[in-house]
Amino acid sequence: MEPEQFQDVFQRLEAEVQKVIVGHNDVIRKVLVAFFAGGHVLLEGVPGLGKTLLVKSLSQALGMTFKRIQFTPDLMPSDIVGTEVLADTNGRREFQFKRGPIFAHVVLADEINRATPKTQSAVLEAMEEKQVTVFGESHILESPFMVLATQNPIELEGTYPLPEAQLDRFFFKLLVAPPAPPELREILRRTTGTEVADIVKVLPEDGGKLFKEMMLLVRQVMIAPPIEDYVVRLVHATQTTSQNGGQASLKQYIRFGSSPRGAQSVILGAKGHALVDGRVHVSYEDVEKVVFSALRHRIILNFQAEAENVSSDQIIAEVIKQVARD
Amino acid sequence: MASFANPRERVPPESLIKQVTAVLRHHALWDSLLIIVPPVLALIYGLVFLRRGAWIGDLTFVLTVSSITGLGLLAIFLRVRPRIPSAATVARLADEKSGAKDHFLTLSTIDPVTCQRSFLERLRREAAIFSERIELKRDFPYQPKRGSYGSVVGSLIVAAFIYFVAPLAEPMLRAAPVHERIREMAEKMAERPKLKGIAEALKALVAKIEDPKAPDEEKQKLVQEIEKQIAEQQKQEQDKNDRELLDQAANQLGGAEQQQSASGKDQQKDQQNGAGGIQSNLPQDNQGESKQSQGGGESKGERTAELSQDMQQGKSAQGNPKETGQDKNQPNQSETKNSQPDPSQPGKDQNKQKADKNQGGSKDGAGRNQASEEPPPQNVAPGERLYKNGEGKEGLKGARYVTVQLPEDVAAEVKGESMTGKESKGNRVGAKVPVSNVPLPAHVSNAAMEKQQSLMGRGV
Repeated sequence: MEPEQFQDVFQRLEAEVQKVIVGHNDVIRKVLVAFFAGGHVLLEGVPGLGKTLLVKSLSQALGMTFKRIQFTPDLMPSDIVGTEVLADTNGRREFQFKRGPIFAHVVLADEINRATPKTQSAVLEAMEEKQVTVFGESHILESPFMVLATQNPIELEGTYPLPEAQLDRFFFKLLVAPPAPPELREILRRTTGTEVADIVKVLPEDGGKLFKEMMLLVRQVMIAPPIEDYVVRLVHATQTTSQNGGQASLKQYIRFGSSPRGAQSVILGAKGHALVDGRVHVSYEDVEKVVFSALRHRIILNFQAEAENVSSDQIIAEVIKQVARD
Repeated sequence: MASFANPRERVPPESLIKQVTAVLRHHALWDSLLIIVPPVLALIYGLVFLRRGAWIGDLTFVLTVSSITGLGLLAIFLRVRPRIPSAATVARLADEKSGAKDHFLTLSTIDPVTCQRSFLERLRREAAIFSERIELKRDFPYQPKRGSYGSVVGSLIVAAFIYFVAPLAEPMLRAAPVHERIREMAEKMAERPKLKGIAEALKALVAKIEDPKAPDEEKQKLVQEIEKQIAEQQKQEQDKNDRELLDQAANQLGGAEQQQSASGKDQQKDQQNGAGGIQSNLPQDNQGESKQSQGGGESKGERTAELSQDMQQGKSAQGNPKETGQDKNQPNQSETKNSQPDPSQPGKDQNKQKADKNQGGSKDGAGRNQASEEPPPQNVAPGERLYKNGEGKEGLKGARYVTVQLPEDVAAEVKGESMTGKESKGNRVGAKVPVSNVPLPAHVSNAAMEKQQSLMGRGV
């Protein structure tokens, strides 16, 4: 596959999603970048911003199987991964594995923080290993597999914040902001009239093959050693718990810094961005475009940061300011 | 992708990086040159000034200039080397100037083995397009750093100081050699008709001084002669200016004489050191010793004469046996000391002459070793007369001398004519050799006053 072909597919996918979703172009692009990088995305935003619609539209544009799981406190792991059921086959009764909703190309885990940790952890293996184990038997998930989880930053009562380990498995955490007035006007125009958007499937029938080629292309994008070093220094600057890591001014706010998965996400995300931009090499700009999405959920702030209302994004902005490119 | 209105001949991005690296290397070199070379030149100029003023010799000058130049070159090398930008730095600069998105950086730093060839070719093509935007002279002009200005200005100030101010202080500070000053003096005197003769003599002296082979004695003799000439001329001279010139010449000659005598002493010292000679601090100390031992006296010459008389009476091992015999007939010798030479007492006269000699030539009052057949050296302290060749005044520090006159037989032994070293030593130790610091008995008129008074008190 040629980079131009990637760029073409990507732009068409963006265009299809944008038929339904007004604004949030950056979110759409990053979701697609994460998709082609083989990652999962956590979308955070107040209700009614079109998070679920975005994911649905994306799956439609991709032409892949889509499942939605509404996480609730009484949701059980078996409700997600599936379970063994007694079935009657040719007069014989035997246990058969009934696949759960996790067996899809695109899975929407809506309000993931409302499920119990036990249920949340059921998604953990699926996200990382691309397989689930039920009654000692492993079942491979179809490729491509992407979990798009949403969570509501308000109404935290009765919720179970995702543990750090699970947060780390998300490639990007994207913040879905409320629409600006022109965007809101457009939303109203589209949703309150008779006009219905028709999303066209972008990927062909053998979309899986094309998807794999696109994933490979993302990984083939060149990155200069100095830019790699820059990413390393950025991530290292957040690691205040390590002996020599961390910026002194940030140590007071950070409980845990980014894991190596953070650096992986930054580089893969930057590579995806470079391809979308029509380049076959990563630039510093690409890195800085994705570093917030890749690291914000991986930096665990302490009580002082919460007390002073310091966000992860502020920390990352400070890190970028302090870490020189050379 | 960016497109360009006036595409020129495309420069391969790798060569552009090399060109920019070379330009920046030159910039670093110029910076270092501008910072280091001016102080080096100022230092060399200072050295030239010192050389011109004869403060330093040729060898010192050459060595110092070479060292400073070498150090300057080393400093330039050490300063330039870390300032040569790396390929990544140059590539980033090229990216900035051309508006590329890290094309040059990736191209110059990535390992071609780890990336796809098609991607690399694509990157090279894109970078080549961006390289057209770069013009070396426009985008990478040389701008001297602030330190360069400081260095140049500072060095110029130092050089100007040396050029304008230091020559004013030069006459005060200059310490030209004596012969140079004498030469100048001679040139001044040569302009005066009356002093031409002295001027010629001074020039001759300078020639002698400058001649390393000329013996010091000769130089000293010449200096003394010119001093005499000057002294005579000074007496005759009426012109105030001429008299001043003569005064100055006399002073310079005084300096030259001191220099010559100092060099003579040095030579003597060198000789002594070379021969392992004996050193001595004797002259003044020995004078005191002599006085004490001899119980006082009117003069050193008299004391020597008296001592000789005493010795002739058997109190001294020195003296001629004939004289001793004659002296025995004259018990009261105190009466004859310092008296006119008596034709009837040749030995005594001889002693008297000896004493006079000592008086004229020395002040320490020490007698001469008569056992030595060598003629006594002139203008030498009596204490030093005892030295053999190679021995000297400075030979033995803290040494005290006594004047000993050995009887002939002992003197013969000392000369080693009849004995071997060991025998001679043993006999010498065993021999009762009287010495001059033996207190004189009270009945001798030259004895210490307190002794004589004690005798008088007892009615003797």
